[in-house]
Amino acid sequence: MTCPASSPGGQRLSPGDTGSYFCYDNPAALQTQIQRDMQVNTTKFMLLYAWYSWPNVVLCFLGGFLIDRVFGIRWGTIIFTCFVCIGQVVFALGGIFNAFWLMEVGRFVFGIGGESLAVAQNTYAVSWFKGKELNLVFGLQLSMARIGSTVNMNLMGWLYSKFEASLGSAGPTTLGVTLLIGGVTCILSLISALALAYLDQRAERILHKEQGKTGEVIKLTDIKDFSLPLWLIFIICVCYYVVVFPFIGLGKVFFIQKFGFSSQEASAINSVVYVISAPMSPLFGFMVDKTGKNIIWVLCAVATTLVSHMMLAFTMWNPWIAMCLLGLSYSLLACALWPMVAYLVPEHQLGTAYGFMQSIQNLGLAIISIIAGIILDTRGYLVLEVFFIGCVSLALLSVVLLYLVNHARGGNLNYSTRQREEMKFSHTE
Amino acid sequence: MYSCGALRRGWGHCAPSPILFFSLLLSAAPFGLLGEETRQVSLEVPTWPDVPQNLLHIRAVGTNSTLHYVWSTLGPPTVVLVATNTPHSVLSINWTRLLSPEPDGGLMILPKDSIQFSSALIFTRLLEFDSATSDAAAKPPGKPYPPYSLAEFSWNNITDSLYPATLSATFQGHPKGDPTGAFANGSLAFRVQAFARSGRPDQPPRLLHTADTCQLEVALVGASPRGNHSLFGIEVATVGQSPDCPMIQEQHSIDDEYAPTVFQLYQLLWGSLPSGFAQWRPVAFSQEKAGRESALSCQAFPLHPTVAHSLPQSPVVQAFFGLQEKYCTFNLTFGASTGPGYWDQHYLSWSMLLGVGLPPVDALSPLILGIMTVALGIPGLMLLGAGLTLILRCKHASEYQSIN
Repeated sequence: MTCPASSPGGQRLSPGDTGSYFCYDNPAALQTQIQRDMQVNTTKFMLLYAWYSWPNVVLCFLGGFLIDRVFGIRWGTIIFTCFVCIGQVVFALGGIFNAFWLMEVGRFVFGIGGESLAVAQNTYAVSWFKGKELNLVFGLQLSMARIGSTVNMNLMGWLYSKFEASLGSAGPTTLGVTLLIGGVTCILSLISALALAYLDQRAERILHKEQGKTGEVIKLTDIKDFSLPLWLIFIICVCYYVVVFPFIGLGKVFFIQKFGFSSQEASAINSVVYVISAPMSPLFGFMVDKTGKNIIWVLCAVATTLVSHMMLAFTMWNPWIAMCLLGLSYSLLACALWPMVAYLVPEHQLGTAYGFMQSIQNLGLAIISIIAGIILDTRGYLVLEVFFIGCVSLALLSVVLLYLVNHARGGNLNYSTRQREEMKFSHTE
Repeated sequence: MYSCGALRRGWGHCAPSPILFFSLLLSAAPFGLLGEETRQVSLEVPTWPDVPQNLLHIRAVGTNSTLHYVWSTLGPPTVVLVATNTPHSVLSINWTRLLSPEPDGGLMILPKDSIQFSSALIFTRLLEFDSATSDAAAKPPGKPYPPYSLAEFSWNNITDSLYPATLSATFQGHPKGDPTGAFANGSLAFRVQAFARSGRPDQPPRLLHTADTCQLEVALVGASPRGNHSLFGIEVATVGQSPDCPMIQEQHSIDDEYAPTVFQLYQLLWGSLPSGFAQWRPVAFSQEKAGRESALSCQAFPLHPTVAHSLPQSPVVQAFFGLQEKYCTFNLTFGASTGPGYWDQHYLSWSMLLGVGLPPVDALSPLILGIMTVALGIPGLMLLGAGLTLILRCKHASEYQSIN
């Protein structure tokens, strides 16, 4: 199983997803402007990310159910894309009316659509490409989404300054207008969703192809059957992603203040993680497929992230190095970690396991986003980085434990590909 | 506690009328004076009949040295900073000379040959700029309004705002002539605080101080700005010790624990170490409850030589150093055209440290060191343990020899 593109916000598909991915990181690209124009501290600013994650604590379980039983894939995609559009518009209106609470509502609505849209897009991909170039599609999916994030990081700041110049002043209105323009990408997503629905319906008519289903069966009672290695994987997942996304959310000001970068440069470096992830995710997926040994790759990825954060915290070395390392390790981890769940859990529990994993990941992101904001306001960036280092260290500890537990139980998480093939043959014999 | 009598021998002229004298001898560390880690600090307000009380002498005595800070609002706010190599040096004031048009020699630290370092800072003008006509990187930050000369301010009696318990005092002033009424409800305050030992205040920017330093906080409160988006600044002059003006050094550090998101520290060194220094963080605050939301950037412009007659004259500097022809001046401006600013609450405050010797250096706090030790130590040990276990197991397995 190649890199499944299952990372937060990971299950996203082009081009419909590019819009939602573009808008997900609007706050990071405009952090200085939002904090200044809406007059909020970092804690409140990070609520824009927290409110995105809160609905997904629950929706990760419901998304598949809603698509399979309630809406169907076509209507599901359209509805979720509508949520994304409406959410972004409400977010922008919060700026225009100078009401931060309205911005938070907008992000909440956006969040309802965003993650569930990912599930829908994955279902489309499986429905159209299963047994053919599915891995390539997943890889391209992720690449397109990353391109959306990168463009956001580099474009929004510039767009804001252009509006500031033409409207004559900075302020909440300028912010709102900039966000509305950014929201145009969500309109493009909606158009894509409508086009996809039309093409899918046509395919059903012509090819007698059934509507895609997620195939996920969510039974919360299955959670009690999860093994220790699986819980360790959950811990790694939560502890790892909370040091990537909240960091990127707050990174722009860090690069401006500590390293003296200009606003444009800081946006560019903040987007490096996504820029690298776009081409490297399929490559790493291919590599992990060929070599196996997932736990070792996860260990490498977590250790590299630890080194990266230590460089950012304790040195004045050029941060491009650290951010490139972060981008590489982030891509590698996604490809090596998520497939391990499939090795530990029978197929009928896979939906529950992935749903639970995404759910607690969103919970972790929601909570840690707020904590990161509080730490930054009271103690500054060094303490924040040390906090992140502590989280990565916890992930590292979990990986080591996972290795030991897996080794002790004779588990197959760290088998090389050859060993897995041999196992398959010996089972069929 | 010094008595007037004991001091008489060190004073050129003790006033015929009672000297108003506040001093507090702060006791040294319980285990005695630890070199210059602690000092005995006293605050005294020398007076003269019919003269407003606008001179403050802070005397910080160590085992082998004394620091004298003579703060004065006779003329523009000034501090004369003198370091001597004896614990017995004293300030001597010749009031008649000091108050005359040629005050040379009116202020002395005796014995003269014990003086290791001396310099002065004069806060000459309060500047105001209209930021609406500027872009962020402009120097200066906008069209300047006519500055307020701080020599034309009238100041309070220092004894009214002297707080011996905290070793602090506040000079508060407003322009003598105020046709527009800008300072009708406002004032410019210079809060001075001395320290007997190292520490760090709770109020941002939480500059680390030692016994060799004192802290100055400049606060503009309540004055009406002349524009909607006025940026304020202050012009500072110093006595030029060598032909060239001293430089302001910008130090970068990784540590912003005590001043969140401020990674720089500015230092003005008057000469090669050890000499006098001024130290500040490039941040000012637009609210009394200082925090990140109210943080303004502070820009320092390099020192340049200035002829004496273009600056408001300070009698205290002339009294101690003699007539100076050249000063070195620099400007500090606070805030930018967008973001928090003076316009929020009509409040602006900026702090700096003034001292002699080695400037204080921040170190990582125990919290950070503790977290890093645990965060790196535990996984490191586990990895080491796991690695060793595996090596031993492999070795044990390879030592097994099959029967056949």
